[in-house]
Amino acid sequence: MGYSFPEEVLEHVLSFIDSDSDRNSVSLVCKSWHDIERWCRRRLFVGNCYAVSPAIAIRRFPELRSVSLKGKPHFADFNLVPHEWGGYAYPWIAAFAKAYPWLEELRLKRMVVSDEALELIAKKFKNFRVLVMYSCEGFSTDGLATIAANCRNLKELDLSESEVDDVSGNWLSQFPDSYTSLESLNITSLSSEIRFTALERLVGRCPNLKTLKLSHSVPLDLLPNLLQKAPQLVELGSGLHTKEVHPDLYSKLAGAFSGCKGLKRLCGLRDVVPSYLPTLYPICFGLTSLNLSDAPIQCPELIKLVSQCQNLQRLWVLDYIEDTGLIALAESCKDLRELRVFPSDPFGQEPNVSLTEQGLVSVSAGCPKLHSVLYFCRRMSNVALSTIARNRPNLTRFRLCIIERFRPDYITQEPLDVGFGAIVEHCKDLKRLSLSGLLTDRVFEYIGSHGKKLEMLSLAFAGDSDLGLHHVLSGCKSLRKLEIRDCPFGDKALLANAAKLETMRSLWMSACQVSYRACKLLGQKMPRLNVEVIAEQGHPDSSPDEYPVEKLYIYRTVSGPRSDMPSFVWTMDKNSALRSS
Amino acid sequence: MGRATNSSSSSIDSSSHPTVSSASSFPRLKRDLSTDLSLGLSISTSDHHYCPSTPREQQSDWPPIKTLLRKALAGEGNKCNDATFFVKVYMEGIPIGRKLDLFAHDGYHALIRTLDHMFSTTILWAEVDGVLHSEKCHVLTYEDKEGDWMMVGDVPWELFLTTVKRLKITRVDKY
Repeated sequence: MGYSFPEEVLEHVLSFIDSDSDRNSVSLVCKSWHDIERWCRRRLFVGNCYAVSPAIAIRRFPELRSVSLKGKPHFADFNLVPHEWGGYAYPWIAAFAKAYPWLEELRLKRMVVSDEALELIAKKFKNFRVLVMYSCEGFSTDGLATIAANCRNLKELDLSESEVDDVSGNWLSQFPDSYTSLESLNITSLSSEIRFTALERLVGRCPNLKTLKLSHSVPLDLLPNLLQKAPQLVELGSGLHTKEVHPDLYSKLAGAFSGCKGLKRLCGLRDVVPSYLPTLYPICFGLTSLNLSDAPIQCPELIKLVSQCQNLQRLWVLDYIEDTGLIALAESCKDLRELRVFPSDPFGQEPNVSLTEQGLVSVSAGCPKLHSVLYFCRRMSNVALSTIARNRPNLTRFRLCIIERFRPDYITQEPLDVGFGAIVEHCKDLKRLSLSGLLTDRVFEYIGSHGKKLEMLSLAFAGDSDLGLHHVLSGCKSLRKLEIRDCPFGDKALLANAAKLETMRSLWMSACQVSYRACKLLGQKMPRLNVEVIAEQGHPDSSPDEYPVEKLYIYRTVSGPRSDMPSFVWTMDKNSALRSS
Repeated sequence: MGRATNSSSSSIDSSSHPTVSSASSFPRLKRDLSTDLSLGLSISTSDHHYCPSTPREQQSDWPPIKTLLRKALAGEGNKCNDATFFVKVYMEGIPIGRKLDLFAHDGYHALIRTLDHMFSTTILWAEVDGVLHSEKCHVLTYEDKEGDWMMVGDVPWELFLTTVKRLKITRVDKY
């Protein structure tokens, strides 16, 4: 090169580039761009904490301010991953404590976080601002107390869906009186009584508080005072339960809600008393997100509520909403983008509510912006799925769970292959798909040919043979995460598509037919994959090689087999001996 | 079982494979999944090491809903309809008042019916035409949160609930 391009200029240009994939592209241009980029990258996302080691991450990116880490596989949400499988945050935090004294943000998902790890965060990062622990476990309110006492600049503390050892509610009082920077607090998963006076004072002295999501143990009479202290709230989560109302309280609550003119997102409402819902009516028009998945509200009240939320973009609700409620939703909420309908009685044998495929069809017809669906129901038909696909080719996420396994099309008794085929054929931008009902290998043929943008696929009780898995692995070019349970997929498809596995983040297979031999072979041949066999019943060596493994988790990695495996997880590596049968 | 499982002998090609047989052979919900999967395999079922999912696991891992939601639904009892909202009701001329649960009524009509019964009279309110032809009629009014006495029935029921403090039934001629 005849001239030199000042690094500072490139760095300045790069500071406008936020997306990880763009930055990754930048770093591939040439060696000097790679070097400049790595010094000025501030955010890192690690989708699988075992795909890379802390040391490697730190060596490449010496100046990070914000890190996101994910631990356990998604099926851990449904109790399929044994306890103590792994996903420990401590080694990462300890390494960051030395390398990034200026770290500001940590976002952890499905990881095990100990109180010691929280203490490190509290004491070692002087400018720490954001702690999000989504679906994590392993810590107690003592750890939270240390965070509260030490993190002077904390803006966000989010414990969504985490399991916390709730020793005492006093941790909230550890925020010093001089602390005023709180902007977002989510403590919905805590159950112990918190000191309400401490909460009130905290809310009162933090003028930038925008998100407040409380546990259901906050009593109703406290809520109006709290809302009056924080009329600038944008997001609120709270129960609305009580036994006895006196007239003042009801009107106070109505007044307090009306005072929150900027409220856009509402959730919680566990144990809500339907008679209280009218206090929400004044704010319904401004709501963009409503999460009623905890709330046992019946159809008539749901219709009254939802019909007033004309600006709603996201609705999470129980199937109490029924088909009639969804028709009302389709008529009133033309801006709806995301719908999730959860089952109120998932283990019951008979339907307890009148919610069928018709509700979803109505919403797909009436809501032109709908792109994300999670729907639990008890019956489905190919014609309904095809209608939904034609109505909404803009779907990007479609997760259907028909509660009874192997349920065919209720009209024709056929498998639902054609219906799901229509979904992947018409919805060309589909990124995430979950299947259910009676399905043969044919549905996988459709998915393999049409699902070119599909990134995540979840399968359960589906398919006939290895051909099904082969269609998916060979056809879905963009596939990153594949999770499979209880499907008759075996060795052939896996071994024939071994190279594909290096292009994906991870593959989970449980209760399938992959043999121990195939796992060992894969581990031998593919050094850049960790092939982990989970066998709680005993070492897989104690049964013949052709026997299927219980659970299998395969993921690409640059840091070799992990060293923190529990006794029931084995990594297949190049030393795994193949035995003759 | 009705499903073709042939992983030990098929090759991966696009030739057609057996389609699923008729609906009558499809399993119902209560079947034991582990039996079916082991029947589908070419290994003996006497092996103790192969156990795809125990019955206990079947209970807690299907359908795929998160633990927290499962707990929330389990905890949901009959709590949701227990709340009450009692207000005092006085009839003019009778020193001892009554108490009425407004939450037990879904609107004005139900409220009027209850009051008609409770006080053995005909209650007039905003929806009734002003033909006041009998001394036996009474008018229903309420005290709102500002301390004013208003006729019942002018505002929507839900709004009424947010402002009412107590009820009074006055004789027509005095009204």
